[in-house]
Amino acid sequence: MDYGKIKKINRLLESKEISCAELTQKYLGAIDKENPSLNAYIKTTPETAMETARRVDKKIASGEKLMPLEGVPMTLKDNISTTGIETTCCSKILSGYRPIYDATVWDILKKRNAVLLGKCNMDEFAMGSTCRTSCYGGARNPHDTSRVPGGSSGGAAAAVSGNIAAYALGSDTGGSIRQPASFCGIVGFKPTYGAVSRYGLIAFASSLDQIGPLTTSVEDAAIIYDAIAQYDKMDSTSSGMAKPAYASLNNDIKGKKIGVAKEYLDGVREDIKAEFEKSLKVFESMGAEIVHLSMPSIKYSLPVYYILACAEASSNLGRYDGIRYGYKTLTYADRNDMICKTRSEGFGTEVKRRVLLGTYVLSAGYYDAFYKKAQNLRGTIVRAFESSFAQCDFMAAPTVPMTAFPMDYTPDNPVETYLTDLCTVPVNIAGLPAVSVPCGLGSDNMPVGVQVIGRKFSEPLILNAAYKFEQAACAFKPVETGVKL
Amino acid sequence: MVTHEDILKIARLAKISVKPGELDGLTKDMNEIIGFADTVNSAPVDSTDFDNINGLTNVFREDEAVPSYSREDILSNAPCAEDGYFLVKRHS
Repeated sequence: MDYGKIKKINRLLESKEISCAELTQKYLGAIDKENPSLNAYIKTTPETAMETARRVDKKIASGEKLMPLEGVPMTLKDNISTTGIETTCCSKILSGYRPIYDATVWDILKKRNAVLLGKCNMDEFAMGSTCRTSCYGGARNPHDTSRVPGGSSGGAAAAVSGNIAAYALGSDTGGSIRQPASFCGIVGFKPTYGAVSRYGLIAFASSLDQIGPLTTSVEDAAIIYDAIAQYDKMDSTSSGMAKPAYASLNNDIKGKKIGVAKEYLDGVREDIKAEFEKSLKVFESMGAEIVHLSMPSIKYSLPVYYILACAEASSNLGRYDGIRYGYKTLTYADRNDMICKTRSEGFGTEVKRRVLLGTYVLSAGYYDAFYKKAQNLRGTIVRAFESSFAQCDFMAAPTVPMTAFPMDYTPDNPVETYLTDLCTVPVNIAGLPAVSVPCGLGSDNMPVGVQVIGRKFSEPLILNAAYKFEQAACAFKPVETGVKL
Repeated sequence: MVTHEDILKIARLAKISVKPGELDGLTKDMNEIIGFADTVNSAPVDSTDFDNINGLTNVFREDEAVPSYSREDILSNAPCAEDGYFLVKRHS
């Protein structure tokens, strides 16, 4: 099975089977070949990549040992700030914006000589589940290019699944790492809220956003997590409570109790349910015990999520005024007209819809009925998870209720697309960690993922469970295109 | 039920201009989304308050001067800048 890249690349480089410059060229060549059909990258950074690769080669030549992530060609979602490299959130309103500082996660990886191949496509401001709201046009699924890769980290998932990046960092506000990972047949990991610094992540909904890795194996996810989960004084929500996960990956999960809440299966397609049931059998075959739970409040997760996320977005996106950075309208009557026109021309339809909804639920007369009620329910959902975890060690659920849908799928209304987030949003609402691992194929032969969900800061346990599952299930289905190591 | 007037009012608050041709579609979409969001009001009210997700409390730090960005760096992304300032049309 050809999964897991980081250790393999490390071995290839240290044994001098390939130089880092050659490896990087190989990836850049594969991007040239595959990106026209995948649209995973919206920008490549060959100079930055080759400069780092040469630095790594010098280190190897001098006999120095490499750090685990050193020399590994990777990519970042376009909402992660990179000094001097255009960072747009795939929105016209940030066209031309070149950050003057690095996001902390990129600062950490840069210091470890990570080879940045380019920036990846995403739904505009991470608002979407298809990658189609990107101002650069949607990315495509490497398993079937007539289908979406999911979103919002759709470009990142397509790049990793299509073997034109060894791994990617994305962000997950309501499932934006796990959902595209499930659609593209790879591993997507959303850490606990506060485990990884969000300094330099362009904000969508600050009480929900979290950065995490998209990889081809759980081992890779653990290596990256251990590197980036550090306390950061630049992020006031950074906790410093994260524990390393790599060392415990191979622990026995015999006797572990896995909670399954029946409400997670409401609205899930039959073939996905069948794959999920098979996954539970795999866990049982390793000696884990299934505990059946009920969490009625889960059914309110989606509306709670959309109210809170849009409210926070309407405030966070207030900063785009055409004055300090990004796009500015050409003709206007006065300052107010300039700001209104800049925002109307700069934001896409979905972003405008969400900013308007957010403004509505925060406005006088509606605040109590919507925002306050949703905050109250958020507390109910948090407590429902707390009581569930009193009865089990971790939980399992399908990642997405369906497989990747066709590029030309047209929903009857915006709410229909929101339903794809059904199984991913509860975790963000409660700030919990969750990892999606490939578990099989749907009736349409497209990848399906299963989620392992844990208590706050229980990354070592959920990655351990996901790793054991991955080894036992052997459900990873590689795509034949891109770089072969 | 959200009306055209409601949409125009919210749009004014959000500083987004809505063209006459967009109003019908936007009102329809917003009614769907708000109808969906309104399902929270069928849930029982929980008596416990919710504050923040990790139970964090405010931590104050010493007010120390640290190096910051140069004026040139800050202005480097501005669509219009002059004499070291952001340039904005005079308020009439």
